[in-house]
Order: sequence, then C-alpha cells, then structure tokens
Amino acid sequence: MEDWRRIDIDSFDPNSGRLTNDDLIPPYAHHVTLQELQPKIAQLRSLATSGDMSSATKLATEDPPYSADANTKAVYFQAVLEALTQVRQADIATIVKQLSPQQQDVLVKYLYKGMSLPEGQRQGGILLAWFEKLTQSSGVNPIVHFLSDRRTV
Amino acid sequence: MSQSLRPYLTAVRYSLEAALTLSNFSSLEVERHNRPEVEVPNTSAELLLQPMHISRNENEQVLIESSVNSVRVSIKVKQADEIEQILVHKFTRFLEQRAESFYILRRTPISGYSISFLITNKHTESMKTGKLVDFIIEFMEDVDKEISEIKLFLNARARFVAEAYLGEFVY
Amino acid sequence: MLDTSKSVLSVFKLVKAPIYSHCFSIDRSLLAITCNTDCLVYRFGGGKSPQLIATLPDHDKTVTAVDISIHGRIVTCSQDRNAYVWEPLSDGSYKPTLVLLRINRAATSVSWAPNGYKFAVGSSARIIAVCYYEQENNWWVSKHIKKPIKSSVNCLSWHSNGILLASGGTDGYVRVFSGFIKGLDTKEAVSNSPWGEKFPFGAVVKEWYNGSFIHDVEWRSNIEKLAYVAHDGTLTVADSVEQIYSVNAPEGLPFKSLIWINDHEILCAGYSCHPVMFTEGSNGWQFSKNLDKVGKQSLPQSTSEDGTDDEENPTFGMSALRKFKQLDLKGRVTAAEQESAHENAIVELRPFEESNGQVTQVSSCGLDGEIVIYAV
Repeated sequence: MEDWRRIDIDSFDPNSGRLTNDDLIPPYAHHVTLQELQPKIAQLRSLATSGDMSSATKLATEDPPYSADANTKAVYFQAVLEALTQVRQADIATIVKQLSPQQQDVLVKYLYKGMSLPEGQRQGGILLAWFEKLTQSSGVNPIVHFLSDRRTV
Repeated sequence: MSQSLRPYLTAVRYSLEAALTLSNFSSLEVERHNRPEVEVPNTSAELLLQPMHISRNENEQVLIESSVNSVRVSIKVKQADEIEQILVHKFTRFLEQRAESFYILRRTPISGYSISFLITNKHTESMKTGKLVDFIIEFMEDVDKEISEIKLFLNARARFVAEAYLGEFVY
Repeated sequence: MLDTSKSVLSVFKLVKAPIYSHCFSIDRSLLAITCNTDCLVYRFGGGKSPQLIATLPDHDKTVTAVDISIHGRIVTCSQDRNAYVWEPLSDGSYKPTLVLLRINRAATSVSWAPNGYKFAVGSSARIIAVCYYEQENNWWVSKHIKKPIKSSVNCLSWHSNGILLASGGTDGYVRVFSGFIKGLDTKEAVSNSPWGEKFPFGAVVKEWYNGSFIHDVEWRSNIEKLAYVAHDGTLTVADSVEQIYSVNAPEGLPFKSLIWINDHEILCAGYSCHPVMFTEGSNGWQFSKNLDKVGKQSLPQSTSEDGTDDEENPTFGMSALRKFKQLDLKGRVTAAEQESAHENAIVELRPFEESNGQVTQVSSCGLDGEIVIYAV
C-alpha cells in the first residue's frame, strides 16, 4: 500500500464502464482449433501449388479463423502468405476484381498483417502490389473497414 | 519515381486518408482535458483503432497508429550502412529540434523508427487533410534523396580532405 | 455529376474556427452556431449575409453542441461539463440558466425533445442526462441514463413522440432508451408503439451492435425507422423488427451526419466534404447521387474498370510542392482547382426547408467554419 496515491480507484468500480481490449473482441460461439483448420490449410496449399491462384485467394479470404487463438492464426497466416506471394504480378488485378467486398476486407487484413511481420516484410514488394490493385479496384473503402474492425486475423 | 516506390507511397497515401478522419474528443479519463488518445496510456481500448503497417522491405516501413482524435505516423528511413545511420539520425534530429515550425512533427520518434509525426484533430481542423497527406508523402519522397545527396557530399569532402592531408607526404 | 451551382444555394463563411454544431430557429430567422468557447447567434434571412446579434459566452471550454427549441430557447453544452439554457428576452439578449447535469466529463451532444419541455445531453461520462424544468426550484434538473453505456455518447435523436431517445457512441452500440418523465409525458404518446409495451425511464428499448464509432443517429418517426452512420463508412437503417440495411459510402470515407429527406431518401455528409444521397429501392438502400461533388475522379467504383487511378497521374504527391513553388517563385497561386462548397469535413446536417414531409433544402456546417445551404 506504499503507492496508494497512484491507485486507480475507477478500475475497482464494476460500473465504471471501461472497455479493455478483451471486451472489444466480439463473442464467438465457437473457437476454431488448429485441427479443424488443417483441411482448409491443406486445400489452400494444394490450390496454390497447382497454380489455381484465383481459387486459392478466394478460399484464403473466405471465412478466416477470427475466433482461433494466436498460434492457429499464425499457421493459417503462413499458408495465406505463401499463396499470396506465389501469384504473378500480372494476375493480381484480375484476381482482386473477382473478390467480393467482404473478401477484399479480409484480404486487406492479411496484407497489413503481412507487412507487420518480418516474413512478410521480405515479400514487401508483392504485398504492396496486391495493396495497390486493391485500392485501384475499391478505393479507400476496405481500409476504412479495416480500421474499425475488431475481428483480427 | 522508381517502380517499387510508387505502390509503397500509394499504400501510405490511402492508409493516411482513411486514418485522418478525426473528431474533437474530450478525455474519458481526466476531467476537462482533451488529449491525443494515441499518445496517452489508455484505459479505454475502444478509442484506439487497428494499427497499420506498411513496409517496402525490412528497412523501409511506415507505421500508422490511429485513434479517435489523433494519428501517429512513424517512418523508418532506409539505412543501408553506418554512415547512412548517422546521417539519418542527424537529419531527423535537426528537424525534431525545430518541431514547432513543422506543427505535426513529434519531438522524438517512437522506438524502432527514424521519425514520427503526430496529427491531431486540431491539425485536421485547421489544415486541409489532402495537403497533410501530400506533405507526408512528399517528405518520404524527399528524405531518401536528401540522405543520398548528403552522403555523396560527405564522400566527396572526405576524399578531398584525405587527398589534401595525404598530399603532404608525397614527395 | 450534378451541376455545382444548382445544388449549392448559398455559402456563408462565418468564423475562422470549426463549427461543430448549428441550428436554425423554427421560423429560420435565427441561426446559432458553436465557435470555440462561445455560441454565436445570427439574424438570418432576406438574402443578406447573417448578422451577429448575440454572443453567448458563459462556457469556458469548447462548445460541442447547440439546439433551439420550438419556443426559441437555446441550449448549449460544452466540454466544460455544463449546459446552459438561454431564454430569449424582449430586447434581443439572452438570459442563461445553468442546468444541473451532474456529470463529471464533457457534454458532447444536446437535443430538445419535439415538445420543447425537456432535452437530452450526451456526455463522455458514459451518461445521458435527460433534463426538464422544475417549477418549484426554478431550475433545470436532470435524470440520468447510465446503463449499459460503455463509452462517450456522440449523438442523440428524439422520436417525434418525445419518449423514445436514440443514442450512439464510441462503444459501437446504437441504443434506444426511454426518456419518459413522469408528469411531463403521457402514456398515450406511445400507446401503439411497435417498440414495446412499457417504457419506464432509462429502459433500453432496443440496441444494435455495430462495433465502430457511431457518429450520428436519426429517427424517421412516421415509419418507425432509425438510421445511423458509423466510422466504418456505412449508413445503416434499422426498424423494430430486426430488419437492417447497411450500405457503404461510395467514396469510403465515413459520414459524420445524416438526415432523412423523405421516407425513402437519406442525405449523408462527412469527411468527403460533400453530401451524398441514398435511396431506398426494391433492393434496399442504395447510393443514388452526390451533391456538389467536384474533383478529378468521379466514382471509385467506375474508375475500377480502367484501373488507371494513380498510375497515369504525374502530379502524384507533388501537387502541394508545386503549388508552393509557384507561390514562392512567381508570387501567384496556380489556376484555382475547383473545390466543393465545404473545404473540410461536414459535421452536421439540418433540414432547412420542408414541405409535406419532404425536405427540400438542407443546411450544413463544417470544420472550415462555413454554413452551406443545399437544394436537394
């Protein structure tokens, strides 16, 4: 009790109404585990190796594991990053146009996440190319969505 | 403009445009205060928005941290060798010491970055948002140029000095 | 694209500070705006520029909102935690009465109930104070709505029945509360309301989760619908039976304000500096047109086909530099780029003229210190 002057009394009040980071995460009915996600990751990898990049991108940006724990998200992200970086620059614009607005919102999350991690930064050029094509197709819309969206990938 | 620089700056431009949507927001925590929420230790997590990383490679990055009434933009300038490290440090320090003439410049960069800007709702109210974005983009364009120019000067000067000094010993 | 001259009726540059809020009196002869720590009252009309007739100076922090009741009373609230009701006197001056808000953070928004006998104040103290006049004490007193507000309240809107109060804030929820004051309101006003049976004061009648900051919320009482705009750049229309339509801003940047033009049209405005009209069709709500839009690119959606948005733009990032170089070297401003009437974000829209439930003219205020009147 030495530092009683610095005690934050408001935090003891259950009605203070303060929101912490955990409060902001929307409640999920079900938490996706790594086992459940493995088939999807495998499918993503096989699509990427077979060269069907359009389907791979669509699969990657469809229903991402928002509710999973950090470790699962990291594994999934690796697979997405591998897929995204295998696309040839010339094909990016066509693929982006085929995505729905929801898928574009997810794509932008993976682009920002990729650029925040060292493994993605090494591929900065290709991620930026994705980003450029995305903004050309949808303007600032997906970024505004990204800013306020509390569901992280 | 080089090929790979353009997408980098485009990404920064769009991200800044989205982030510079600020409101006048009075503190939830301290009475009668109005402070940049991105800068203060915050007990209300909802006021901070998702941070945006934009990187061209490991050495050139921009971090945009956004909140309800302020945005912090941190830039990591390319530093290929020790001389460039020194030059970037000197250059940004020179600017930071004159921070009040730049309005949006932060006096110290956040750790890991070369220079930081802090834009609050006061700035977006008194200046045009588009021009603020232009300023930061232009700064990013110019700073690399500036640093390599100084580096060339420095090398030329070093050569001259070395020649003049070592010339003494030539018979 | 609409012709600029057609949609903008008049532009008044009133102050060199952001106007966070403005309001016209019921006969449109008076205009009240916020300016720093004051509220300024102008005489308006007759085609002349507004004339300043009174300054309401009692606040000592930024005034955040102003509203005029149907009786001509002005209420202002400010970040200094206070609200004042200003009673017009016969000589044109105003007599202030402090309102006992009992909040310990900034007051952020204020709205008179349609009947003009009570008003609600939203605050950063996670409280909505519903205030009414108490005859015995000759004072404006307040009752608090606290739960379950989790963050700053940004906006308020009264239903025309004067009992349902919609609010939105930075906690990402839009909520409808009951603002029923005993002795002031009657149960008949809400007898057939689709929103519920009983409305005790402070009860949450309905809530919607959006997740991003709610900037404005507005009732359309006759069709029992509620529209709100949020920081993720969406406009959402909701009603009492869980029907929700959400539509994105065509330019992506979030809206700060909205008003209903009629039952099937909503006008929004915000960070893109010009109003945008949305229309309800057979497929729900859709973007229909821009008012007073200028600039090089038309619609982001339409530029997507050619994909040449930035690639062939040589002035990229250099326009400011060139402008200043021109200023510096040649002492002149480059050929003026055409700009929209508002040079900075629009923060509030209000109906200016309406007939038969159709708003025909709209007024707006912006961070650039301007009041603009648009024809819809």
